[in-house]
Amino acid sequence: MNSIVVPVIGALVYIIGLRFYAFWVDRKVIGADGKRATPARMFADGVDFMPTSRNILFGYQFKSIAGAAPVLGPIIAIKWGWLPVFLWILLGTLFIGWVQDYTSAMVSVRNDGKTFGGISFTLISPRARTILLIFIYLYLLLIAAAFANTVATALAHAPRIPLAIVMLAVAGVVVGFLIYHGRVHLALVTVIGLILFYVALVINGHFSIVFGTPGTNRLVWLLFSLVFAFFGSILPIWIFVQPINYLSFYIILIGMIGAVLGIVIGRPVMQQPAFTSFTVGSLPLWPMLFVTVACGAISGWHGIVSSTGTSRQLENELDARPVAAGAMFLEMMLALIALVIVGVTTPGAQASWDQLFGSGLGNLFHFIGMPARWGEIYGPVMIVVLAITILHLVVRFMRIATNELLGKALPIVRLPVVGTTVAVFLAFVLAWTGTFNYIWVLFGSANQLMASLALLIGSVWLVSENKKAGFAIVPMIFMYLTTMAALVLTSKQLLYQAVSRTDLLGKPLTSAKIAGNWISGIIGLVLFGAAVVLAYDGVKALIGHARQSHGLEKG
Amino acid sequence: MDKEKEQKKKRGGIFGGFREFIYGMAAHDTARFALKTRGSMEHLFILVTMGDMLGIPILPPYYSLRLLPYVVPQIATWKRRMLREKDFTDTLA
Repeated sequence: MNSIVVPVIGALVYIIGLRFYAFWVDRKVIGADGKRATPARMFADGVDFMPTSRNILFGYQFKSIAGAAPVLGPIIAIKWGWLPVFLWILLGTLFIGWVQDYTSAMVSVRNDGKTFGGISFTLISPRARTILLIFIYLYLLLIAAAFANTVATALAHAPRIPLAIVMLAVAGVVVGFLIYHGRVHLALVTVIGLILFYVALVINGHFSIVFGTPGTNRLVWLLFSLVFAFFGSILPIWIFVQPINYLSFYIILIGMIGAVLGIVIGRPVMQQPAFTSFTVGSLPLWPMLFVTVACGAISGWHGIVSSTGTSRQLENELDARPVAAGAMFLEMMLALIALVIVGVTTPGAQASWDQLFGSGLGNLFHFIGMPARWGEIYGPVMIVVLAITILHLVVRFMRIATNELLGKALPIVRLPVVGTTVAVFLAFVLAWTGTFNYIWVLFGSANQLMASLALLIGSVWLVSENKKAGFAIVPMIFMYLTTMAALVLTSKQLLYQAVSRTDLLGKPLTSAKIAGNWISGIIGLVLFGAAVVLAYDGVKALIGHARQSHGLEKG
Repeated sequence: MDKEKEQKKKRGGIFGGFREFIYGMAAHDTARFALKTRGSMEHLFILVTMGDMLGIPILPPYYSLRLLPYVVPQIATWKRRMLREKDFTDTLA
C-alpha cells in the first residue's frame, strides 16, 4: 500500500472524530458552557490559574503530551505488522484517547482545578489518593528506566552522534545564559544554539565514539544519560532543562518536517508486512500491542497534563474540546508519521528499532533531495533528543515526589542532591539489570493503566453528575482489562525467568539479569495490586453515586 | 457573534493562531515557570514581612505594619494558594 494513505486516513479520522464525536460529547453529554466561569477565570492568580488563549494552550498541550513514546511505540510494535498498529492508533485515539484527555480536563475544570489526587480523594476514597500517588511514582520510575535505556541503546548503536548530544547540553547552558543574563534576542540565541548543535553533528559524522566492548559502551551511555538527568534535576530549571528542551523542539521539528515532505513528495510504498503473526516471540498481539503503542493511541500521562496544567488555563469551557481532544488527534498524526517512517524500511533487515527508524528516515530524506545517510544519522538523533528531554524532566519530578512521599519520615531526601540520587539510582538499577522490551511493556502497562484510572475518575464524576457515562466507562473497562492482562503476563514471564534462572529460550541468565527480572516482576505485581484496590474503591464509588443519582431522580 | 469575530481579529487570524501555537509549543511552559518562580518569591516575601501575624516573628511588627498596605492587594491570592490542597502532580504540568 502507498504510505500516503496512512496520514490521509488519519486526517479523515481527525476531522470526523473532533468535529462530530467529540463535539457531540462536549455539547450534549458534558454540556460545556461558554458562559460558565472556568477555574482560570475564577482563581486567576497569574501563576497556576491563568486564562490563556486557545491556540497557545493547544501548542502547550501538544508539546506536553507528544514526547518520545508516540514515535517509539509504533517502531517497536512494527514486529506485529503495520496494519494492527495502524488500526490501534486510529481506533484507540477515536474511541479512547481523546475521551481520556478531554474528560480529565473537564473533570478538573468542574472541580475547581483540582488534580487527580484531590479529585480521587473526594470522589472515590481517601486511600485512593495515597495509592494513586504511589502508583504515579512507580510510573515515573518506569518512564525514567525506559527512556534511559532508549538513550543508551540509541547512542551505543549510533557512534556518530554522541558529540552532538553532549553539545546540546553545552548549547543549552549557553542559550540559557544568553537569554537570562545577556538579554540577547531570542531569535539570535536560537540560531547560535542550533549552529552549535549541528556543527557538532557534522564533526562527529567523521568519526565514531565507542567505549570498549558493546556491553561497556552501553553502560557508559546509560551512565551518561543519567548524569545528564541528574544535572537536569539539581540545576535551576532555567539553566539546563528549559533551554535544552527549547532547542530540542527545533531539532525535532526539522526532522518531522523532512519526514512529512518525504512522505508527500516520495509517496513510498509500505515495505514492512501488513501483518506478521498473532504471537511474536513470547508476546501475544492482545494485550501486548495495546501497551506497546501507548501515547499515539492513549496515554495516562495526557490525563495528568490535562488535569494539572491545561484545566487551570482554559479561559472558556468550549476550548477544552479543541485543546485537549485536538492535541490528542494531532498526536495520533505524529504516531502515524512514525509508523510510515518505519513502515517504508526493508523487511527482514537485522536492525534494532532505532536503526530501523534511522533507515526509514533516510528513505524519506532521499525523496527531498538529501543523502539517505543524513536521515540514518538524524533518526537516532531524534530518538535520543526526544527521550533525553523527557528523562531529565521525569527525574526532576521523581525528586519532588520522593521529597513528598518520604520527606517527613526521612528528612534527608528533601535535599535536592539526595532526592535526585535516589531517583537516578533506582532508574539505573532498573535500566541496567532489566530487559528493554519488558521495561517498555511495563512502562506501557503503567501508562495505559494510569489512563484507565483517569477514565475511572472521569466515569465516577459523570455518574455523580447524573450524565451519560457510557462513552467513558466502555473504554475504561477495555483498557483496564487489557493492561491488567499485560501486567500479569509480563510479571509471570519475568518471575518465571528469575526463578528458573534462564530466559524463555532456556539460555542461562547473568545474576544482574536475574536481579532485574525480580525487580521488574515485583514492580509489575505492585502496580497490579494498586490497580485492583483502586478499581475496587472506584467501582464502589461508581455504584454509590449511581444509586444516589437514581434516588435523587426518583425523589 | 460580533464578539467572537472581534476576538479572532485580535488574535490575528490564521497566521496569528499559528504563531500562538508555535509559541505554546516552544516557550509557554518557560513563561509559566518564570511566573511560578515569581509567585513563590512573592509568597516567601509575604511570609518574611507578615510572618508575625502567622506566629513566625521574623520582622518586628513595626515594619510589617508599614509594609501592610503594599501586601494587602495580594493577600486573597496568597491565602488561596497557601491553603489549596497540593500534591506532587501539581509540578508535573
